[in-house]
Amino acid sequence: MLVLNEIPKEDLDYILEPFKEENNKKEENSKQIISEKIIAIIRDAKGNIIDKREQKMKSLIQNYLAIMSIAIIGTYQSATNYNATNFMTNILGLPSQPHVGSNSAVIYFDVSIQVGSGTQSFTPTLSSLSAPISNGTGTGQLIYYSQSVLQINNSISVLDTVSNSSGNTITVSEIGLIGAITVNPYGGIIVTNNRLLSYDTFSSPISIPAGGAASFQIVITFSG
Amino acid sequence: MIVGSKVDYDISNLYIPKDGKGDNDYQKSFSATLTIIVRDKDGNVIERYKQKSHSPTANFIGLMLPVSYYNKVQKCWTMTTTSNSTFSYGYNCAWTMYPNTGNNYPVYIENIMVGSGSQSNPYNAYNLALPIANGSGTGQLLYSAPNIPTSITINGSQAYFIISQSYNNQSGGTITISEVGIILYLQLGGSAAVLDGNGSVLIWYDVLSSPISVANGQQIVIYYTFSVNA
Repeated sequence: MLVLNEIPKEDLDYILEPFKEENNKKEENSKQIISEKIIAIIRDAKGNIIDKREQKMKSLIQNYLAIMSIAIIGTYQSATNYNATNFMTNILGLPSQPHVGSNSAVIYFDVSIQVGSGTQSFTPTLSSLSAPISNGTGTGQLIYYSQSVLQINNSISVLDTVSNSSGNTITVSEIGLIGAITVNPYGGIIVTNNRLLSYDTFSSPISIPAGGAASFQIVITFSG
Repeated sequence: MIVGSKVDYDISNLYIPKDGKGDNDYQKSFSATLTIIVRDKDGNVIERYKQKSHSPTANFIGLMLPVSYYNKVQKCWTMTTTSNSTFSYGYNCAWTMYPNTGNNYPVYIENIMVGSGSQSNPYNAYNLALPIANGSGTGQLLYSAPNIPTSITINGSQAYFIISQSYNNQSGGTITISEVGIILYLQLGGSAAVLDGNGSVLIWYDVLSSPISVANGQQIVIYYTFSVNA
């Protein structure tokens, strides 16, 4: 019986081959599985909308795949191997086996939006924004409000609002989804690692005037 | 200065993008692909099949929701097992178990299950319509263990991982595969990380656009590829 320890090259070549539109009628390329979108609404100090943006989100990071792997391949290497998968340890930086005495451990994650004033070339291994804008009222800072996450069927939407109390206009040119992945060994030391999950630049920078505010929304839709 | 809640009002309702089909002006970020290779008893490839994979189930969506979602809605997610029993995930119910040096409840991929039926609403599916059992009896296939990757492959801007499983037909007859699903064995821990719900859950489901016939003695391999920026 064929048992795969590694993928045969001829299989891998076919797996990675781009879809053909017409050569093979069994190859279907008509539906996209996930669409991603970024929305921004910017207001001045009086609350008037001064700018609206809506653009396709392009750039998920490998960390997002690692979080997805929790739901697809699990957290254990197998039913009998009690080590965390390599995705947990090598990509998310989590312990393979936290010490918890006689208790157990659980994993969960949260997300938030971070904006920045820089730009950088995309790679799936990016770890942070180029020039993240920190939380505060000082020069170059924005106040981040608590994020809200909504879900309808296959859509997950993350909404974050910022306001500008820095006294000067702040320019936003990049946006990322940040994941906070936590391993909680009951009775042990809780580990939380922050990882960049997506990275995009705005087609043109967004200016948030002094006293103004902006809402950013990232929507991920798993279209069935 | 305006406060965040006022601004939230503009987009307080979940914005669902319009149907993305035909929208070709951007590079799609995420994709999933289902590939099937059929080989004869000598290992020669006799058929190759590939289609876009479309269908996470409600179980998958529940696992992909972050803590702040559960804190907002203040309720748990109902996970439905392949035997149609339920247990609760998230909020103040339970979270996914993680390996440790103490007491372990493994969470792992159980199977890429194949079946001979179909169903039209993958989101609500909790099992295949007609699962093909593991074995060499009539209508059965011999399942190998799932093969999980050890790393995410990076190729330029693309990142992907592939899971796979192989099957052998020793049933004595031809078997037709028309549906495929990923089954996760999920175990959850409550507030004290004690076992608080477990079972086999369907997290991904696809109906093949063309059924695959596997003759007696033939082998097939199924690959799921999860990719960003392909």
